[in-house]
Amino acid sequence: MSSPASPSLDVATPERVSLSLPVAGIGYRCLAYLVDLALLFSFWVLAYFVFTLLVSDVVGFFQGLSGLVRTLMVVGVFATQWVYWTLCEVLMGGQTPGKRLVGIRVVRVDGSPVGVLESAVRNLLRVVDSFPLIYAVGCLSILLTRQHRRLGDLLAGTLLVREERIDLDKYTAAAAPSVVLPPAGVTARLASGDVELILSFLARAPWLEPAARTRLGARLVERYGGLDAQQRATLLAAPGGVESFLRARVQAER
Amino acid sequence: MASSLPAFVARRRPDWTALEALLTRQRAGTLHLEELRTLDVLYRRAAADLAHAQTFHPGTDVHRFLNQLCARAYAAIYQPPRERWAALLAFFRQDFPRTLRAHGAFVAASAGLFVLGILLGAVVVLLEPRGAELLVPENLRDYISRKQLWTDGLLSVSPPGAVASGIATNNLTVTIATFASGLLLGLGTVFMLLNNGVHLGSVAALCVHEGLGAKLFDFIAAHGPVELSIIVIAGGAGLRVGQTLIAPGELPRGQALVLHGRESVKLVLGCAPFLALIAVVEGFISPGDFFPGWVKASLGLALGALFWGYLLRAGNAGPRAGVAAG
Repeated sequence: MSSPASPSLDVATPERVSLSLPVAGIGYRCLAYLVDLALLFSFWVLAYFVFTLLVSDVVGFFQGLSGLVRTLMVVGVFATQWVYWTLCEVLMGGQTPGKRLVGIRVVRVDGSPVGVLESAVRNLLRVVDSFPLIYAVGCLSILLTRQHRRLGDLLAGTLLVREERIDLDKYTAAAAPSVVLPPAGVTARLASGDVELILSFLARAPWLEPAARTRLGARLVERYGGLDAQQRATLLAAPGGVESFLRARVQAER
Repeated sequence: MASSLPAFVARRRPDWTALEALLTRQRAGTLHLEELRTLDVLYRRAAADLAHAQTFHPGTDVHRFLNQLCARAYAAIYQPPRERWAALLAFFRQDFPRTLRAHGAFVAASAGLFVLGILLGAVVVLLEPRGAELLVPENLRDYISRKQLWTDGLLSVSPPGAVASGIATNNLTVTIATFASGLLLGLGTVFMLLNNGVHLGSVAALCVHEGLGAKLFDFIAAHGPVELSIIVIAGGAGLRVGQTLIAPGELPRGQALVLHGRESVKLVLGCAPFLALIAVVEGFISPGDFFPGWVKASLGLALGALFWGYLLRAGNAGPRAGVAAG
């Protein structure tokens, strides 16, 4: 808890509530970039194979094309390198396929979706960010700025926020039918942080080492159970009793 | 009194689910008016729930979830207006030339740097022809020493279309790099302008020295005026960005950068169609002897005059434009 809070984008809405969204760091950004790169690469490989299947003599075909068609084609190829990013970001609400897979999104600094101009700016400046190689300037800028923005983002006034998949089911999941010991009425109410702690233990319990699972469960019962020593001993002895007890304890908070 | 966390979630969750479903459909663009009203109501309720979670359950997953949900709804409701073809037309009719005139000083400075580079390169090579070994790339020197222009070679090997497309991508790269390197405190743009100027000047001087001056002029005449203008304009935009970084004025540096960066990018984006056009001229008309020299020269002059006439005059003619601007 003493570590500095991860950077976030704070937005004051007209409804007088402040939103705070987690900012995507360099890891997420690299991952999304690699996914997009792989996508573009496989597109070109696929296009090449389809093309060679249809036209056996590639070089001859190209020489046969008229000058204007060839000009347009090469300019078009160049454009796909650059237009891909802007087109995706505008049409997919600030995401490219790679960004969607990783779960990050481009937004303006005030939290609203990016427009054509902002997207064009941040993608034009890829030239500088990729200077001198493997995005060295961009990576430095991401590491040094507070909200992890590369130079293109700084000029366009955009940044990337993270979307987490949060499962609310854990709060409302039904208690197991075999509740061993319903908590006595004398127990104190749980704070929301305590509820969160118990729920995250319950969510992770199936994947824990058996020894760690019983040890953690026992400590939670000791802390929040409000039971005397004898009750606790019977509970710990029952198989699976600890977790169903804790679940019932959280459910009783309603 | 704060309700407990599970109770809060259980009570309010149906509204959140409904809001999520509406937002998903909103992105697909299939909502009736009635549903839009519901969306608005649900967003306000979710905002109130977020305020509740902020106060009583900070740092929990529910708090994070509501933050995210409200951000999605906020983005959907407070959307920027869609840019359409009319906006594009207005951009080229008024916005682009006006922006250019507003930043005339920077474009002039950029032109100055470019000309300085050309003069430097030319003077060095004319005074000391061996300087060309330093300034002119080897493959170009080979061509020139054989009393040939490299463009002749290009045309005999590959048809004009390939030349045009190669030139188009090359010019695009130079233009984007000249502008974008302004983000390195403007030094990148200064370097790009001087470097390109020196390159051009030294090559031209070497051609003149070897008696190829007329041929080079013949090649450059048709596309040179517009193409060099575009690089100078991109340089002006880059200098503007650099100046904002060095002296942001009254705004914080970040905000000033966003504000002026947008203006500068307009200059570069506005040049794009002209760049494509001039590449076609450069690929089809400039090389070879299909067109006599005087045709190329007058075409170049006419294109240059048209381009600058458009840049200096468009967008301020007529009373309507004056009203819109004032």
